[in-house]
Amino acid sequence: MSFVSIRLPSAGSEVIDRARPVTFSWNGKKLKAFTGDTIASAILANGDHIFGRSMKYHRPRGVLTADFWDPNLFVQVDDEPNVRAAHRLVENGMKVTSQNVWPSLKYDVKAANGLVGRFLTAGFYYKTFMKPAKLWPAYERILARFAPGGEVDLDTPHGYYDKRYAHPDVVVAGAGPAGLAAAIAAARAGASVMLVEHEHQVGGHLLWGSDDDRAAAAGMLTDARNLGVEILTNSTVTGRYEDNWLGILQRNHHIAEERLIKARAKMLIVAGGLIERPYVFAGNDIPGVMTSGAVRRLITMYGIKPGTRAVVLTANESGDAAVADLERAGVEIAEVVDGRTGAFVRSAEGSGRGTNHRLSAVTLSDGTKIDADLLVTAVGWTAPTSLLNMSGDRPVYDPAAARFFPGKTPDNVLATGGMVGDGTHDQLVAHGAATGTLAAGRAAVVQHRLQAATARAAAVDGPEPDYPEDLRTPLGRDPHPALFRSTTHGMVDYSEDVSSKDLFGAAAEGFDSVELIKRFTTATMGPSQGKLETVNTVAVLAEARGETIAEVGTTVWRPPYAPITLGALGGRVFEPVRVSSIQSYHESKGATPILAGQWIRPEHYDDPQAEVTNTRTNVGITDVTPLGKLDLKGPDVPKLLSLLYTNKWMQLPIGGVRYGIMCAEDGVVLDDGVTARLGDEHYLMTTTSSGAGGVWNWIENWLQTEHPDWQVHVTPVTTGFTSINVAGPNSRKLMGRVVAGVDLSNEAFPYMNVRTGTVAGVDDCVMWRIGFTGELSYEIQVPAGYGLHVWEALLADGKDLGIAPFGLEAQRVMRLEKGHFIVGQDTDGLSKAPTTGMTGLLKLDKDDWTGMPEVKWALEGDYPHIVAIQPTDPNCVPEEACQILRGPESNEIVGRITSSRYSPTLNRSICLGQLSPEFAEAGTELTVLLVNGERVTAKVMKHHAHFDPEGERLRG
Amino acid sequence: MLLVPCPNCGPRSSQDLTYGGESHSRPDPKTATPEEWRTYLYLRDNPSGWLVETWYCSSGCRRWFKLERHTLTGELRDPILPGSKTGVASDEATNIQGGTK
Amino acid sequence: MANAKYSAAGLFIRGARKKTWPRVWREAEPKKAYDVVIVGGGVHGLATAYYLASNHGITNVAVVDKAYLGSGGSGRNTAIVRSNYLTPEGVAFYDRSLDLYNTMSTDLNLNVMFSERGHMTLAHTDSALRTMNWRAEVNKLQGIDSSVIGPQEVKREAPSLDVSANTRYPILGALYHPPGGTIRHDAVVWAYARAADSYGVDLIQKCEVLDITCEGGEGSESDSADGKGAGGKVTGVKTNLGDISAPIVVNCTAGWASTISDMAGVKLPITTHPLQAAVTEPVKTFLPTVVVSGSLHVYVSQTDRGELVFGASVDPVATYDMRGTLAFTEELAGHVLELMPGISKMRLLRQWAGLCDMTPDYSPVMGHTQVGGYLVDVGWGTYGFKAGPVSGEQMAEAIATESMPELIAPFTLSRFTEGTLVGEKGAAAVGH
Repeated sequence: MSFVSIRLPSAGSEVIDRARPVTFSWNGKKLKAFTGDTIASAILANGDHIFGRSMKYHRPRGVLTADFWDPNLFVQVDDEPNVRAAHRLVENGMKVTSQNVWPSLKYDVKAANGLVGRFLTAGFYYKTFMKPAKLWPAYERILARFAPGGEVDLDTPHGYYDKRYAHPDVVVAGAGPAGLAAAIAAARAGASVMLVEHEHQVGGHLLWGSDDDRAAAAGMLTDARNLGVEILTNSTVTGRYEDNWLGILQRNHHIAEERLIKARAKMLIVAGGLIERPYVFAGNDIPGVMTSGAVRRLITMYGIKPGTRAVVLTANESGDAAVADLERAGVEIAEVVDGRTGAFVRSAEGSGRGTNHRLSAVTLSDGTKIDADLLVTAVGWTAPTSLLNMSGDRPVYDPAAARFFPGKTPDNVLATGGMVGDGTHDQLVAHGAATGTLAAGRAAVVQHRLQAATARAAAVDGPEPDYPEDLRTPLGRDPHPALFRSTTHGMVDYSEDVSSKDLFGAAAEGFDSVELIKRFTTATMGPSQGKLETVNTVAVLAEARGETIAEVGTTVWRPPYAPITLGALGGRVFEPVRVSSIQSYHESKGATPILAGQWIRPEHYDDPQAEVTNTRTNVGITDVTPLGKLDLKGPDVPKLLSLLYTNKWMQLPIGGVRYGIMCAEDGVVLDDGVTARLGDEHYLMTTTSSGAGGVWNWIENWLQTEHPDWQVHVTPVTTGFTSINVAGPNSRKLMGRVVAGVDLSNEAFPYMNVRTGTVAGVDDCVMWRIGFTGELSYEIQVPAGYGLHVWEALLADGKDLGIAPFGLEAQRVMRLEKGHFIVGQDTDGLSKAPTTGMTGLLKLDKDDWTGMPEVKWALEGDYPHIVAIQPTDPNCVPEEACQILRGPESNEIVGRITSSRYSPTLNRSICLGQLSPEFAEAGTELTVLLVNGERVTAKVMKHHAHFDPEGERLRG
Repeated sequence: MLLVPCPNCGPRSSQDLTYGGESHSRPDPKTATPEEWRTYLYLRDNPSGWLVETWYCSSGCRRWFKLERHTLTGELRDPILPGSKTGVASDEATNIQGGTK
Repeated sequence: MANAKYSAAGLFIRGARKKTWPRVWREAEPKKAYDVVIVGGGVHGLATAYYLASNHGITNVAVVDKAYLGSGGSGRNTAIVRSNYLTPEGVAFYDRSLDLYNTMSTDLNLNVMFSERGHMTLAHTDSALRTMNWRAEVNKLQGIDSSVIGPQEVKREAPSLDVSANTRYPILGALYHPPGGTIRHDAVVWAYARAADSYGVDLIQKCEVLDITCEGGEGSESDSADGKGAGGKVTGVKTNLGDISAPIVVNCTAGWASTISDMAGVKLPITTHPLQAAVTEPVKTFLPTVVVSGSLHVYVSQTDRGELVFGASVDPVATYDMRGTLAFTEELAGHVLELMPGISKMRLLRQWAGLCDMTPDYSPVMGHTQVGGYLVDVGWGTYGFKAGPVSGEQMAEAIATESMPELIAPFTLSRFTEGTLVGEKGAAAVGH
């Protein structure tokens, strides 16, 4: 039998605009539809009724529920996979194709799987393909070809997605009659309200009800608008997280592709309505079998005639109404089977090939077989309690009403509408309104408490209002027959092709709890996440176990309520970087950038080796702004420094600078740096670039929790200063040209001292005589706004002195020539302070410093040593991380290279490494395994410094 | 996201703060035995229930404070700044959104 | 084995005769006494039971779980396996696990769908690249197939990755580990359960341990007269299904390790944190390998069903609450789109969380404790699933021989008081 849907005459109830036609393509065919049509209604109106094929058996599939949750209507739209055809509105120029078909919707080769379905029971793959083991990858590739879903175009541009924060008093999820009434009542009570509706129009089931229903919906919409309720359609509350932190996905934002609203709602009202359950029987997935809601929506909202001759199985008002709708649409009613009398549908069969496949006959419980191309079922409801589950609720099954109801929700979450009971329109509206009023009252109390709990907020007016008790009159529960499965086996999970027979089999094998059967058969794991399938799964399992549904229980729905694009979750990808005030210079010189933590730094401007040589010969400047800087003030700073660093700080004179190693409480090296005493109670501490934030938190913790009596004020000034290092034999001469008010002679301003003065006309610059590079050098901290000015002044004044800037790489080479270790590179997560070799700085006679006990015990035992290493072959630079082995023939690791470079100063390769103590003696010959597998020899050096170990240059 | 009641700033989303972990006292580093010191370093009560812990109001007032949190239900109570006897607003800060306090 | 053998022929015959398969494991009632009671019916507990029976002939064993088998971390992880760890002891241990996974389908006669699809850990900074090199060098010395590859090779393995230089987190290279891959995690649980059951091990679901009974100990914090704690000896467990006496009780739980251990008076170096994961709707397969980015706190693989499975690092706040957060999905999506900008229209379908017991050195706590007969196999952080088979094998040996096998000797509880921690932390910002 071939069937063609037709567009019915225009009616006032429809949501399509026949004055505005739309053209789109479906599997290559150009089709026409109307603005307001969903993709599904548009395709149905053009006479097609098969949208795709099922996952495992590749059975042709058509409309089942005609809404967002329809498991059969996934299509590809342009570069977007898995679009829900009964929800997405059709647009001009859309290219819609069917998914999961090969080679085409009409001729699908994999449909042969349907013939062998008896052997492909759920979980069949666990029982086969084990032998021969080497063939499994080939099997796997074949299985992967059956992956359902659309195709991702990897060139899809990352569109514009947005985010928004909101702090409404009340969020209402669902704008059916109860949700609308709740929003209106809450707004009337003075609350700020956000009303969120999943569908394109508010009204819920009123939209496919009577003219009076639609008028009521329109009236409430007007009221809500007039009261200032923010109404979001085509939007979904996707999740309820701790303390009513809500995710709300807005799909119809006027600029952004989608927008994720994050709302801290004082109250959440869940009014999600009910989802109609499909009936389980043989043939229940044949195109032409639909729920009552599907036909009612298609007829009333889209003007689609869903069939020509129908059998209706009805056990409730929705089914009865569907009969009337079908008659109005001119569909012949072949039979109405009343489920309330004990009658049911036994099975259905289809006929026709390819895209013409369609329901042809229905067999009833009494054996009667009736020709029909449409079978409508109205067998009951599922409350989509996801948001309540996320609030900690466990739904409870009521056998009399044949559905689950919410259990207990927290005080800040209320439910209303069909989810919590049945009633007339007026009863639902009254319950919704009572819920809205209650929510507004509670929100006012929460608002009062929020203000009162904030010490620095304005004082609250009056005492806290009484917290409103829940005194709502509960909705009733209509009796409903328990219709889950017929006497035959049919589909339970359409997306996953899991039948009731599969579930019986799995239960017999011992996968007989809800969780296990879900995992074994994959029922409820597909794109609709069990909205349609969970309760039927539970019912079939209960039947298989001979238990009640209540005994079997249900599973918990996990977030999100509806799938969310990664684009909406990611939003505008915002990953800021930090740059110094000299960045424009670095860029103008074409410096190669390097990412170092949050910072972008110049790695080199030219040949880094030449930059080293120039600095060692003439003078160089480098931008070291990322260096962490903390300004410390107060009488107890020396005590703090003594606690944080392993060495002594009580006697540091004004103008003095000292180096320190900082340990965590387990003795592991945490950070290092130099600290200067600028004034009587004023110090400037430097940290590693990456450690700046952590050290600040660490200091605050010690000051606030262990030593709240100490008077120290800490200010992070890392970006308040631009830091420039001036290094090289000509650096003093250069400084003399730009510095005012400071005697730069070696006697007046020796190594490891600090002075404050004017540089290139900029006051309050801090000058340090220190030297990571090993040269005579000055580190200048310039108030950040003047960084570029001072940098350019140095370059201009140093021209005849051979000045050139150098980058991070040259700096790394020079520090390695000097043998300075880098925390985190030459040390690792287990390196305690003794490993650094600086045992002279570990003052065990102090009262306390962080990590002291562990360092003391470490010194008593064996620990790895950081040593300088030089390969025998001066041209061989072992890669950083090369392993050092016990001997030429051994594979036993005794250490590793932690830093390595070619030194242009020494014309040879130089390294730092960590070694077991037995190999750390100067002169020990080592075996180094290169990355290419070659083993080379190297020697342990006497000093960490490969160059100028006595430090004559930096002291000169 | 949890609302964490900073004694100074009031209830804030937990993302605005830094978690400091289980609160424990530090032995005297001069006299501690290895076992005492490592118990302090590594061993934790890790209860499934009420836990006294530290938080750092890192995007706000930058104060470290203690509170009690129920590790199963997420309930919070008794925020307190170090050195003070009671929290600045401990009563009000607890269970902001619930019916009972 | 006693159960019906699984095979293609068996599927065909039962299909033709319309016969169903027998139960995977018996529904067992707890007996009054066992030689060994294992707490926790996940991969670790079930594997321990299986190897006790198969390797040591100890079959009077019960595995008890307060929910259903595989309900904890075993059913919540992202099913990634690899052996390219940083420390020699880590490498040796996980390599044995990978060996056992490789032959598990045939050994246990249940297809666990091991997919040796390769595992890539991306490096976005030169320091990350250095750590990758470190791992590769240690790995190679132990015969593990593991090397550092450049951006173009990364692109060849996973064309969806953006390897251009102009990104915030440029891909400078990757540690590539061809033997790594994924496994159907539930199948591993069922395979061990079915195999253990066939030896007569009792698998008891919905059986919650309420207390561990001991004698002779110095007493727990709450009560010095209860015989728990150092020097004591285990006598059995109290459960909601009654008391069971047993001279050996093994704690194979995750998320509840501290709670169970408190029952024996043994304090652990553990804090429990949730680890969140998420899965997308299925699309046609495009990602052939497992991709991990430590800097971006994300790992991703695509199942044979076409879903992308994502994980991250553990949440910073210690909690036993498994409800998940919105922030996790936001950060995850942002980071994934940094790596694969073309998938912004894919949809996240489901998020969930599992509990991870984190230790200070990112390594487990295994073996005997100061309480006689009370053993632990806990502290598995985010890497417990990978280690399931080898942990079971080694714990079984530890129980049967009353000693510590060499492979797990570095992981004793006493290392925390002795200060001999394992150095895995350096490489394990995201442990997958």
